[in-house]
Amino acid sequence: MSEVQKAQPEHWLTLQSAGSGSPWGCRIESVGVKLPAQRLTTKDLMSKTSHRTRIQLERLTGIHERHVVGPGENSFTLATGAARDCLSHSRHQASDIEMLISTSISRSKGRSSQSFEPPLSLYLKQAIGATQATSFDLSNACAGMLTGVFILQNLISHGEISCGMVVSGEYISHLSWNAARQIRSLFSKQLASLTLGDAGAAVLLERAPRGSGIDVIGFTTLAEHSRLCLAFPSSVGPGAQMYTKARTLQRVAIEDTAPLVAETIREAGIDLADIDYMIPHQTSARAIRAGTDAFVQRLGARPKHVVINIEEYGNTSSTTLFVALYKCLQEQKIRKHDRVMLLALASGIEIGIAIFTIDNLADSYGHAH
Amino acid sequence: MGTHIEAACARVGNGGRKATARRLADDAARACLTLAGCRPADVDMLINVGVYREDSMGEPALAALIQEDIGANRGQPPDGGGRGRSGTFSFDLLNGACGVITAIQVESGLLRAGAIRLGTVVSSDVPPDLGGPGAPFLRPAGGAILLRWDDSPAGFTDFCTLTFPEYEDLFTSGLEWRERRGIRGPRQGTGHNRMVVMVKPGYLARLVDCAEEATRRFLRRLGLGVEDIDLLVPAPSVPDFVDPLRARLGVPGDRVAYTPEDLEGSHTTGPIAALQAAIKSGRLGEARNTLLLAAGAGITVALALYRQEPERRVTDLSR
Repeated sequence: MSEVQKAQPEHWLTLQSAGSGSPWGCRIESVGVKLPAQRLTTKDLMSKTSHRTRIQLERLTGIHERHVVGPGENSFTLATGAARDCLSHSRHQASDIEMLISTSISRSKGRSSQSFEPPLSLYLKQAIGATQATSFDLSNACAGMLTGVFILQNLISHGEISCGMVVSGEYISHLSWNAARQIRSLFSKQLASLTLGDAGAAVLLERAPRGSGIDVIGFTTLAEHSRLCLAFPSSVGPGAQMYTKARTLQRVAIEDTAPLVAETIREAGIDLADIDYMIPHQTSARAIRAGTDAFVQRLGARPKHVVINIEEYGNTSSTTLFVALYKCLQEQKIRKHDRVMLLALASGIEIGIAIFTIDNLADSYGHAH
Repeated sequence: MGTHIEAACARVGNGGRKATARRLADDAARACLTLAGCRPADVDMLINVGVYREDSMGEPALAALIQEDIGANRGQPPDGGGRGRSGTFSFDLLNGACGVITAIQVESGLLRAGAIRLGTVVSSDVPPDLGGPGAPFLRPAGGAILLRWDDSPAGFTDFCTLTFPEYEDLFTSGLEWRERRGIRGPRQGTGHNRMVVMVKPGYLARLVDCAEEATRRFLRRLGLGVEDIDLLVPAPSVPDFVDPLRARLGVPGDRVAYTPEDLEGSHTTGPIAALQAAIKSGRLGEARNTLLLAAGAGITVALALYRQEPERRVTDLSR
């Protein structure tokens, strides 16, 4: 076999854009969220650590509280609730969904702390009535939901399907409890586990006129950093444990993301200052501000607003981007014609960026709805 | 126009401690690239579809570790991307024994769009540490397949996935927390998350029923009959599945690609093992219409039609 002939690529990211000649566009039609009613403050969590840590977690991360599951709630119930909420804001019915992708990292259901087979997506499509949908699970750490959007963008804009849903339910607060049993100091590799909160989110995508919808979406995996954040089943309690080299991860993510953001905005034919709302993955307020400052330094421009909602939700893993988008829509901060950038950062390291302009999506949320 | 197979490689694990799921996938991916004469840096997308790993790692995606191991664009050049180099995008896709076909469908769409030029799907499983009787048919194995787009009127052209949720409880697996009993050593935890695999009686029979039903529905949709299929490539994810299915469909034995016995029960690697057998025998190159089929928990059945012109030959793995 001859060597694969590659044209000179103009970008490092695996990219799709509305202007690439595809017969259709792909737009975000609705977003849904399910948050558990129960809340846990950072003060309460830190008061329950087995060792006296002296860690000022709230000051370090900006997280005041997070939602945590109550009895009977798990990844499956959160995902189902988010999917139903998404449909309640949609003109579509569940039967219109042709592909359903479940992207939960935690896949707890019933007695299982992690369900493997059948895939969680099979149960989800039955629960919401999307019985005709092709379904599968996808696992890409905190970038899972945006990875699902990347796949649907391709299938919808090329006419393979006309409507699809990406959904995730993350019951991950057990990582916080497992970390709280072992953590002793600020330098613990389990520190990031204390920032996690539970949430479900769903996004419905549909066919749009050619050239409209999501302007650009791109992804890459910088695998030389694949071992900076690892999660395994726990041996100290139900659920999992996560070990993160947080400082290295933050430094690498900031250094590597800036040129990729530059690639994406160049592909969209805009400037960073044309972004009305940048929604980054929510890890800590301090890390997000440091990252934004680095972009400004490297790219010479600043997005008009950077969304930080970590104070009341914590890091909800694969759902953070859409929990944040949903809240901004509900509060009518993000309005029609605003240009939004979603920025996924995840273990791998996975970096995913999407740029789109808010259209009728804004009409389904907030007081006007 | 369609997605073409550049090369396929499936290998059996020896069951040793060093033959981890990651290493099985690494070895298969490297062998596949060598067969196709491609460099790791040529791979634009890597999807891992393996389900069972010795450590049940939750994140990152195992695909990222495999990408690093095989050396596929591990990092950005210092001056950013472009300028003749592009990166690799990796993630895990989980659809049980049908994962390979679903991943081929995903990569096929991106190849068609020109978003990627060379994609690979890798798979691997090691039998979970069940601590008791479990799924006896799960055999350690790893596989990889390389795909690219071709403008010739052939390749993977149609896909179909059907689920039969009325049988969703016939095969289930997941981690369950078990408290440790008795005296605990100083380095031992309070318990462990144990993999529980439940296979109920009647699973195999229903699997054959569903596979037959799905095949007939898929062929009907395409306007084809069973007689139009030159080669049936059924994934041997479960032993004793292929012959009953062949008989039910009425496909003669000489139009079935049988996988070597040592790769039977290779779970997610099943479709790649079957394709490798079809390529090695030379029959995939000769068949005009090839039907790739996999069936597993759900019950989920995935099918793909691979059309080929007689003169086109897939990489001969026996060389």
